[in-house]
Amino acid sequence: MKYLNKGIEEIHELLKSKIIKPIDLVEEAFENIEKNQELNAYITLNKEEALKTAKELEDKEVDNLLFGLPIALKDNIVTKDLKTTCASHILENFIPLYDATVVEKIKAKNMIIIGKTNMDEFAMGSSSRTSYFGAPKNPWDKNKICGGSSGGSAATIAARDVLFALGSDTGGSIRQPASYTGIVGMKPTYGRISRYGLVAFASSLDQMGPMTKNVYENAVLLNALVGKDEKDLTSANKEEEDFTRWIGQDIKGMKIAIPNFLMGDVVSSEVKGKIEEVISLLKEKGATVDYIDIKYLENAMTLYQIIAMGEASSNLARFDGIRYGFQAENVENIEDVYLETRGQGFGDEVKRRIMVGSYLLSGENAKVYYHKALSIRDDMKKEFQKAFQNYDLIIGPTSVTTAYDLSDPMDDPRKSFMDDVLVIPVNMAGLPGMNIPVGFDKNHMPIGMQIIGNYFEEAKMYQLGSFIEKELNLDLTPGGEK
Amino acid sequence: MSNYISTVGVEVHVELKTKTKIFSNSENGYGQMANSLTNVVDLAYPGTLPTLNEEVINLAIRAATILNCNIQRKMHFDRKNYFYPDISKNYQITQNDTPIGYDGYVEIETSSGEKEKIYIEEMHIEEDTCKSAHRGNRTLLDFNRAGVPLIEIVTKPCMKSGEEVKLYLEKLRELLSFGNISDCKIEEGSMRADVNVSLRKEESDPLGIKAEIKNIGSISNAKLGVEKEIERQTKLYDNGETFLPQTRRFDDKLGDTVLMRVKETGNDYRYFPEPDIPYVIITEEMIEKAKKEIPMLPDERREKYKELGVSDINTTKLVANRSLSDYFNTLLEEKTNFKTASNLLLGDIAAYLNKKEKEITETTLTKERFLELIKLMDNNTLTSKNLKDILNEVLESTEKIEEIMKEKGIENITNDDEIKSIIQKIIEENKESVNDYKNGHDRAIKYLMGQVMKETKGKANPKLAMDILTSCLQEL
Repeated sequence: MKYLNKGIEEIHELLKSKIIKPIDLVEEAFENIEKNQELNAYITLNKEEALKTAKELEDKEVDNLLFGLPIALKDNIVTKDLKTTCASHILENFIPLYDATVVEKIKAKNMIIIGKTNMDEFAMGSSSRTSYFGAPKNPWDKNKICGGSSGGSAATIAARDVLFALGSDTGGSIRQPASYTGIVGMKPTYGRISRYGLVAFASSLDQMGPMTKNVYENAVLLNALVGKDEKDLTSANKEEEDFTRWIGQDIKGMKIAIPNFLMGDVVSSEVKGKIEEVISLLKEKGATVDYIDIKYLENAMTLYQIIAMGEASSNLARFDGIRYGFQAENVENIEDVYLETRGQGFGDEVKRRIMVGSYLLSGENAKVYYHKALSIRDDMKKEFQKAFQNYDLIIGPTSVTTAYDLSDPMDDPRKSFMDDVLVIPVNMAGLPGMNIPVGFDKNHMPIGMQIIGNYFEEAKMYQLGSFIEKELNLDLTPGGEK
Repeated sequence: MSNYISTVGVEVHVELKTKTKIFSNSENGYGQMANSLTNVVDLAYPGTLPTLNEEVINLAIRAATILNCNIQRKMHFDRKNYFYPDISKNYQITQNDTPIGYDGYVEIETSSGEKEKIYIEEMHIEEDTCKSAHRGNRTLLDFNRAGVPLIEIVTKPCMKSGEEVKLYLEKLRELLSFGNISDCKIEEGSMRADVNVSLRKEESDPLGIKAEIKNIGSISNAKLGVEKEIERQTKLYDNGETFLPQTRRFDDKLGDTVLMRVKETGNDYRYFPEPDIPYVIITEEMIEKAKKEIPMLPDERREKYKELGVSDINTTKLVANRSLSDYFNTLLEEKTNFKTASNLLLGDIAAYLNKKEKEITETTLTKERFLELIKLMDNNTLTSKNLKDILNEVLESTEKIEEIMKEKGIENITNDDEIKSIIQKIIEENKESVNDYKNGHDRAIKYLMGQVMKETKGKANPKLAMDILTSCLQEL
């Protein structure tokens, strides 16, 4: 009997009525993962501990919707006593001393951590191919990438190994792989979820978020993750709310905008066509949809590169092999410790970004590039605010194409950034963005649509997302119903 | 030797007296087992983030106020990026763009009694680094100090001599320790000074080549270091030589500065605003609160004590002893003899405290008992000699002082008539000495006084007895 392809409420009832036990779900999850081993979705499995936790839960009351459910975590989220590698050689054997705040929250709900998922090294990349442990594969076509950097989390959800996964999104790293693998991925408003325990890539952009097979489950998981955390000064103090509260409601009268930039020439006609179909649907159901211009969106990629690489060059400075992590052998002096440890410990893409970032902050460059980027970023935020004065939500495609081949060349860094050109503006503005699957291309690879909300309006995004999901009623299980 | 104009600027780092560190909740302590006061934040474990200790902001505002600085109303922190094992993140969180205080001054008094302002360019908040100990070819790291809050106070290059530097540092130490901002213990590293010295020919010339002196272990060494450096540079210039901008350290044993390193051009710290800490808005209320918490500062104390009739020397001694001065200040609203109070505190009581290594607050001398003691001394019920006999009890028990005196059998005859009749008896019995006295042998009065004390078994109030004896003798 299979349970993990069922809906969360059904599983919850089964657990509550003791027809199944958490251990049944954990065992099933590991069977699935083993069967899908080829996907290379995981870096570390937490089998022993997960089984032990599941056993312990048998004596506890099933007191919330997430109780006893397996969850996979991107491997840049710090887990006490469980290896956290960031898919890097430099942290290959790193076992953290503490739990990230989100991990504490997950444990408080009695969810069970199944393992740590594969990703681009330090979340730097858009195809998960910069992973020290090899790239994860797309369950829809194992010759294709599953996007990145949260590629492993996307793959394991798309393959229906588990119900829940967490990703992180600095420049599209939840939404873009969600789009390539046909799942729902939410990057909440910057500050919604505490970043304490997320290994920093670009501090002013990083945000974790839920990755699930449908909108409702995504909202349920988000409920458990949010909240002000005194350990993260950038976390937001917001009143508690139920993100599922508008799911199922009509969208009549909803005002939706499409920035022309998101439907520009870089977007493939297949993707564009699918988005246009959704637009027709929305209009038919009583929403208004307008094409608008939002200034500075075309600059977002440049701003992103300056800000993200600048911050990354500083954030990754702590990996020096002195206090934890890999340390190069046969070093003569402190200079060598740094050069050799970091030279051997980091992969090419990480090194490239550290170098570019260091350059961008050097001397006068900080003023010419970084400070200027911050100022244009503020202007961009204001432009988004203008749009939200007239519209409830913004939509557009998530990616310019569907997932491409794993064997495509990796030597052009600009190509990697192009993969994220549509998702990055959201990070720059700190807005929430979500991918929902809206169809397939001619090779039956998923196409994703992005929904962008105003600050802290995730509930409204879920409302529209679930409406579209229900109307389209797609079969999103790779290889058909299991 | 030619004449040059010397220019000196000083940078002082002061550790703030807070319970916890600036960016984590580890204890801020000194002298503990290595690395016992650390946590994952201090050690820069992956995923950790800084928090911000509000008390640091409060103390920094207080310091800025005491140093007559303008206060930044919207400030942020910056990252100073550099690789060195003493900083776990390989960047230090500091303030580069928006120092909390700027354009201040401190007033010093030169030996000629003139007041002079030392101008402060800026003061900013930052975190301390860890302590490294070099053992052979290994280095040991103690992160207890990592993340201890610091303020760095930078003067304008406005001083000219070692003497000025000394007076400035003394003043700064006095202000910041009386302000309860820092312990300012140079020997424990809670106050550290670096000085910059350069020479030029004329005021109109640009500043000369700079040498920075680090690792200065005391204020007198700061003075000496500046003087030695001026000497060294003068000699070089006189010989037609020059030198590269450099960092030197003061060597205690040599009593001189030695070269540490020649400064590399353009240290590139890649400063940028710390994205993990939002902007801090400093409100009027925060400033008011900080101002209200400033204890009475030394200059004000000095003025007050003089007003109350305390001698100059006692005033100086009191202000130099913070805890006695604070104790003394609790009397300010009372009607008492402040002169006696200061004599008592700085005399027998200070001697007792020193011997027992105690603070005045650790004794049983409440304000009420101290006032009683002052009264007893003032009306001669208790003599200084008596006080020595009962001081331990006065400072260690809670009994009334009069009770202690009774138990010890101290009962001073303070009745004039009683003493007078005894004195007359003594005069009768010692004609010879009386004659000696009359013949100008002053020593004779001491003998007579001794007889009086003997007769009264030491109970006659000596001052009173002496007065009466003198007048009786003069009447003869």
